[in-house]
Amino acid sequence: MPVFRFILQRVLQAILVTLAVTLFVSFAIRLTGDPAIMLTADSSNVSEEDLAFIRETLGLNKPFFVQYFDFLKSLLSGDLGESFFRGSVRDLIAIAMPSTLLLAISSLGISILISIPLGIHSALHKGGLSDQVIRVLSLVGLSFPNFWLGIMFVLLLSITFPIFPASGFETWSALILPATTIGIILTATNVRLVRTQMLETLSAQYVMVARAKGLNERSVVYKHALRNAAIAIVTFLGLQFGNLIGGLVVVELVFNWPGMGTLSIEAIAQRDYPLLQATVSILAIMIVGVNLAVDLIYGLIDPRIRVA
Amino acid sequence: MSISTLKDSDLLSVRDLTIEFGYGDFTVRAVDNVSFDLKRNKTLAIVGESGSGKSISSLAILGLLKHLRGRITKGSMLFDSEILGRQVDLTQLSERELRRIRGNEIAMIFQEPMTSLNPVFTIGSQMGETLALHQGLSQSAARKNALEFLELVRLPNAKRMLGNYPHQLSGGMRQRVMIAMALCCQPKILIADEPTTALDVTIQAQILHIIRDLQAEMGTSVIFISHDMGVVSEMADDVLVMKASKSVETGTVKQVLGSPTEPYTQALLAAVPRIGSMTGKTAPQLFDIPGQTQSTDAVAASAIDHSKPVLELENLTTRYDVRGGLLNRVTHRVHAAENVSLSIYPGETLALVGESGSGKSTVGKTIQQLVDPVSGAMRYHGKDIFSLPAPERKAFRKQTQYVFQDPYGSMNPRKTVGESLIEPAWVHGLVSTKQEAKDKVADLLVKVGLPAEHANRFPHQFSGGQRQRLCIARALACDPSLIIADEAVSALDVSVQAQVVNLLMKLQADQGLSYLFITHDMAVVERISHRVAVMYLGQIVEIGSRQQIFENPQHPYTKRLLSAVPVLNPGHRPIRPPLEGEIPSAMRAVGNEPNLVDLQRVEEGHFFAAESAEEHQAVLL
Repeated sequence: MPVFRFILQRVLQAILVTLAVTLFVSFAIRLTGDPAIMLTADSSNVSEEDLAFIRETLGLNKPFFVQYFDFLKSLLSGDLGESFFRGSVRDLIAIAMPSTLLLAISSLGISILISIPLGIHSALHKGGLSDQVIRVLSLVGLSFPNFWLGIMFVLLLSITFPIFPASGFETWSALILPATTIGIILTATNVRLVRTQMLETLSAQYVMVARAKGLNERSVVYKHALRNAAIAIVTFLGLQFGNLIGGLVVVELVFNWPGMGTLSIEAIAQRDYPLLQATVSILAIMIVGVNLAVDLIYGLIDPRIRVA
Repeated sequence: MSISTLKDSDLLSVRDLTIEFGYGDFTVRAVDNVSFDLKRNKTLAIVGESGSGKSISSLAILGLLKHLRGRITKGSMLFDSEILGRQVDLTQLSERELRRIRGNEIAMIFQEPMTSLNPVFTIGSQMGETLALHQGLSQSAARKNALEFLELVRLPNAKRMLGNYPHQLSGGMRQRVMIAMALCCQPKILIADEPTTALDVTIQAQILHIIRDLQAEMGTSVIFISHDMGVVSEMADDVLVMKASKSVETGTVKQVLGSPTEPYTQALLAAVPRIGSMTGKTAPQLFDIPGQTQSTDAVAASAIDHSKPVLELENLTTRYDVRGGLLNRVTHRVHAAENVSLSIYPGETLALVGESGSGKSTVGKTIQQLVDPVSGAMRYHGKDIFSLPAPERKAFRKQTQYVFQDPYGSMNPRKTVGESLIEPAWVHGLVSTKQEAKDKVADLLVKVGLPAEHANRFPHQFSGGQRQRLCIARALACDPSLIIADEAVSALDVSVQAQVVNLLMKLQADQGLSYLFITHDMAVVERISHRVAVMYLGQIVEIGSRQQIFENPQHPYTKRLLSAVPVLNPGHRPIRPPLEGEIPSAMRAVGNEPNLVDLQRVEEGHFFAAESAEEHQAVLL
C-alpha cells in the first residue's frame, strides 16, 4: 500500500522533527537565564541556599539530558507535567489551543471567502480595470505589517468608534478584529495565488476543449478550470494554515488573545521550561500534522497521485 | 455584403474570412480574406506551415476566437444548422446559439491528445458531460452511449476505460477518446486540428483509419488541418493551401497535390520527403528545393571509408531502474537498450529508427555518456571508451556532439548566439584568445548558412529553422567526427526541414562527418541515410543499407513501419491491414529478462531478427 507507506514515512518524519525542535528549544532556553533568579528577582536578601533549594525543587540541578528525558516522558504519557508557576501544563494548553485554532480557522476562512472569488474574477478579466485594482490592493495588503494593521483597527474600531472590544476574548465580537487583521493579510497573498493558478488552467488545452463541447462559461470556469487550479490552491492554503498556527504570536499579543502564542511568550518571559517545551512541541506536531493532511488531501483531489 | 444562401451540396461556406488580433498599431491579421466551402460528407484539408492561420480559422468556425482575444473583422460563415432549423451565419450568432452548435453539430479534435483531456475527471464523466448537455441524457444513459462510442473507436476494455483518468492512457488511446467524445453527438462537421501530429506513425495510421471509417458510417463532413502532405493526400477530397494567413490555392486533392499551379504549393510539395522516391538509388540525395541551385555531385563526392569504423558499439545494454514497494527497492527495469551492436564509418549516416519507447534516444545518450550503460563496450577508432580514465573519456565527449529535437529549448536565451556557439570550444580548450573565438564563430555561422554578423544576436531573434542551424553550428564547434542528431528535424516545417537536411548532407560531404540520425520519420531517413538500423523494444531488429531496408524489408516491424507512412499520391486511399493494439512496454519486472533476438544474415550487410511464427504474430498485433 503506497498510501500506508507514505503515512508511515510522514509519521516518522514528524517524530524526528518534534525531537529536533524540542531538543533545541530545551537547550536554548536554558542558556537565557535561571528561573530561580527570575522567581526571586523582586525579593531582597535571597541567599545562595534559597536559590539552590528552588533549583532542587524544580529539578533544575539534574543533568540536562535527564531533564529532557523527563520532559519527553511526560509528553508521551500525555499529561505534559507541571508548569513551574501555573499548575498543570495540560490545563493551560487546553484553554489556549481552542482560542488559537478558532482564530486561525476564522482568519483563513475570511481570506478564502474573499480571495477565491476575487482571484477568479481577476483572472477572467486579466488586464482589465478590476484586475488592476485587485492587484494594486493586494500589493498594498502585502506591504502592511500585521501588527500595524491590528493597531490601526483597534484605534479606529475600538477607541474612536467603540464597536468591537480591543483585547481579550470575553465575547464573540472580540474575535472579529484579530481574525479580520490576519484574514486581510492572508487575502493579499491568496488573491495572487488564485489568480495565477486560474490563469494557468484557463489557458490549458482542456479548457478550450471544454468550450468546444458547448459548455457554458460557468461550467468551464468553475468545473474544468477551478477543479484543476484547486490542486495547487489547497496545497498552499494547507501549508498556510500550518504556518498560521505557529505564526499568530504577534497578532495574539497585539489583541491580548489568550492563545498558544501568548502562552509561549509568557513562558519565555518567566523561563517556565516545562510550559515552553510543551507549547513548542505541540505546535511543531500540529504543523507537521497539517502538512501530512495537506499531502493526503492533495492525493484526494488529484487522480494522477491517487491512481497510479 | 448581401446575404447569400448555401448551395445544396455545401454544408459550410466561408467567405472572405478575416481575423485580427491586437489593436491599433499592434493589429495582426491572422487570417486574411480566406474563403472555402465544405461539401456534405466530404473532407476538406487545410494545409499550411506553422503560423499560416489554419488553426485560427477552425477556432473561428466554433466561435471560440474571443478566448484567444481575436476577432472576426470581416466575412461570413454560412452553415446549415438542423438544431436551429435554418441556415445561419456563424459570425452573427449569439453565444447562446453557438453553444447549442458547439460539440453538437460542429465538434473538434485538438492536436495535443496529452493535454486535451481534463486530468481530474474520468473519461466517462468527460464524455457523459457532452451527452447530458446536448442530448439531455441521464447519467446512466449517457454512460451507455459513451461506451458505445468508445467501442466504435476500437478501444480495448472500453467499459473499464469509462472509470479511468486520462493519465492512465497512452497518447494514441487518449486521441481515440477525443475522437469518441467529438463524435458522440453525431456532429455534422468534425474539425480535426493536426490530430495525429503528436503520435507515432503506426498509431497515426490507426487514428486516420478510424476517422475515415466513422466518416463513411456517419456521413460526417471533416475539416482536416495538417501540415503533413502525405496525410492530406490520404484523407482529403478538397484542399485549401494557406500561407502567411492568406489562401494560396484551393481545389480537389488531385488538382492541388497532383498538378499545383501556385509556386508556393509546388515548393511545399517538392520539400515533402516521399517514401519510395529513392528506389534504386544507393547514395543519399539532396532535396530539390525550387529556387536553389542543385548540386547532387556535392553529396556523391563523399566516399565512405569502410575499412575502419569511427565508432563501434558492442552488446551495449542500458536499463533504467524503476523503484517501488515498501522498501523502495528496484522492482522493474526499463530495458531501454538491449544488446545493441552497431558501427558507424567515417562520412557515413546511420539512421536509428523506431517509435517512442523503442530505445533509440537511449543509445544516443549512452554514446554521448549522458547515461551509463549496464554492460557492453564502445570503441572510438578502436579505443575502448568505457575503460578509459575520466579525463580521456571527457576528451572523447568532444568527438561526439549532440543536436536535440527542440531548437527553442536547447539554446540559452540570455546568451548571444556567439557566446553559445563558442562555449563548447572554450570548455575543451580549442580556442585561447578572444580574436580566435570571434573568427571561429564567424566561420561556424557561415558554414551553416547564416551571416557572420548574427553572432551578437540572441536566440529569440531567430526562427525555428535558423535555431536548428545554430545548434548544428554549436555541435561543429569542437570539430567532432560524429554528430548525434536526435529527432533534429522533426519539429520543423517541411520546407525548413528540407533545407536543414540538405545542410547536414553538405556538411558531411565537406568535412567527412559521421551522423547517427535518430528519428521516427522513415521518409527523411530514406533521403539522408547510408545505412539504417530499426529498433523495437530496445533491440535492433533489422540493420542494413538503406536500399536493403527500404526495398527488401525482412522484419515484420520494419514492414509495419514502412507501410504506416502516409504516401503522397492524391486520390489514392491506401488499404492497409488494420493495425490494432499498442506497442508493448519495455518495462519488465526484475528477473524477467527479455529474449535477446538473434540477428540472421539476409545478404552482405543486411541482418534481421528471425523469430518463431508466434513472435511474428505478437509484433504484428
